[in-house]
Amino acid sequence: MTGSPAAQHQLDLVPDALLAGRAADGDTAAFEALARRHGPLMRATARRLTGSLADADDVVQETLVQAWKQLDGLRDPAAVRGWLLRIVGSRSIDHLRKRRNHADLSGVEDAVDASSGPKHEDPESNALNGSRVEALKAALAKLPEEQRRCWVLKEFNDQSYEEIAQTLNISPASVRGRLARARITLARTMEEWR
Amino acid sequence: MTEPLEARDDSPANVSTASTTSTALPGLDGLADELLGVVQSVDGVTAVYPAQPLWQSIAGAALSVVTGGTPALITLTDDAGVLAVKARIAVGTSRPAPAVAREVAEAVRKHLLPRPTAVDVSVVKVGG
Amino acid sequence: MNTTSDTLECGHSLAELSTYLDTGQIADPVHLETCPECQAGLASLRRLSVLGSELLSSDVADAGSGNDDWMQSILDNLRLELRPGRSIPLHSGNAQDNLWETEGSISALIRSVADALPGTAAGKCRLHGDVTTPGAGITVDVEIAVVYGHPMEERAATLRRELAEALALHTELAIDAIDITVTDVLESPATTEPGTPPSLQTPPDPADSPTTEEQP
Repeated sequence: MTGSPAAQHQLDLVPDALLAGRAADGDTAAFEALARRHGPLMRATARRLTGSLADADDVVQETLVQAWKQLDGLRDPAAVRGWLLRIVGSRSIDHLRKRRNHADLSGVEDAVDASSGPKHEDPESNALNGSRVEALKAALAKLPEEQRRCWVLKEFNDQSYEEIAQTLNISPASVRGRLARARITLARTMEEWR
Repeated sequence: MTEPLEARDDSPANVSTASTTSTALPGLDGLADELLGVVQSVDGVTAVYPAQPLWQSIAGAALSVVTGGTPALITLTDDAGVLAVKARIAVGTSRPAPAVAREVAEAVRKHLLPRPTAVDVSVVKVGG
Repeated sequence: MNTTSDTLECGHSLAELSTYLDTGQIADPVHLETCPECQAGLASLRRLSVLGSELLSSDVADAGSGNDDWMQSILDNLRLELRPGRSIPLHSGNAQDNLWETEGSISALIRSVADALPGTAAGKCRLHGDVTTPGAGITVDVEIAVVYGHPMEERAATLRRELAEALALHTELAIDAIDITVTDVLESPATTEPGTPPSLQTPPDPADSPTTEEQP
């Protein structure tokens, strides 16, 4: 909508706060520039949280719809990245709740990490043979759901206990406890693997 | 791109009168089509937007709700014998926007003569 | 290691260390400094945190670029409704008619004028005053970013002149003043390291740089 490719290119150079201000004024090109800039992180977070490639893209799309509607209420335009990620968190949790009502998670065909090849058929040997990151993925997959959510929201999105509590609709004390349990389990698994 | 619905995306065949039309005057559907052509042919008009602002997305469950009908680009309402016409337009920068808006209203009025008419034109985008 | 209890031999818990990692707060900081058990636990949690960052980087890389097709198809699916803002009345040739410009159409016009200037990008813009009353005095506020090396004062003066012309041509607003604030100085594309996200570039402290100029 801003017209020339030169102007589009310019938008890729400007800071978040300026783009968020323009988008709040109704500039769709600025909004799209924000979406492109933070899309990969939003998608990565949604994939880890939902465990599903298709759900993750639905989450990103729903997040952008909600963001466009609510952007003019954002008090600090410079904080737009964290704000987008908090919406991704809430939307992902919504998707998990919906999915639980419909289907067994283990039946997901488009499961995240499923595409990394045959080595994944045996998580144990994968942990031994694969990279440390692959081992962490496997350990993460074995965590209780609630612990994994806390861990991802903390480590991927750097949310505070209060923000995570809000997203998951639990108390900040529960967040602190679950996050600690998650880390202890993961740290132990990784130390054993070292 | 995430452009709002524009005239070029909606063939005139898709245009219908809004469901809020209070009195079904004969030929009103065809009239909306005609008027869309009249509005689009005014020099300086670059797009016509749905006359009823509509929030829609095809995200998830919202799909079934919003696919119920095609948004009307020109809304016609019979208001106690006076035909109320509503249009939302985008204009270029080659001509003054207020003059283009006036010309749209006059063109619509002229097209509908001798029917009593009240025209509402909103310029929702200038330039770009 | 014992997997049923997270209590260390010194009596402190890994859970306390986990919270310390996030908040920097712990009941007994002196003990923490000197306890080998606690230090070992902390080191283990920090290694996990580093590994977590590596997983994040790997996942973000797997997610693809925001310029790829997946994002384009998401954007194509969005129907972003225009933000009309206030309705600004226009003179009409017939008493039966109501003609308007939306506030959003004016801000789009302002942005397109600012973006068309070399090395300049518009930010937020605001119309102050009662735009719904014909003839009411209006002040326009525009924030702009200027690419480093472009003369700010001159850009602001040119932009103000061009905005005044565009607003006189395309609106019936009585413009009292056009205030232009330079909120950001951008690295020029040529001097920017390829791949450096704009967020990592450091514009000068906004407290020092904004130059607000007013129309006389």
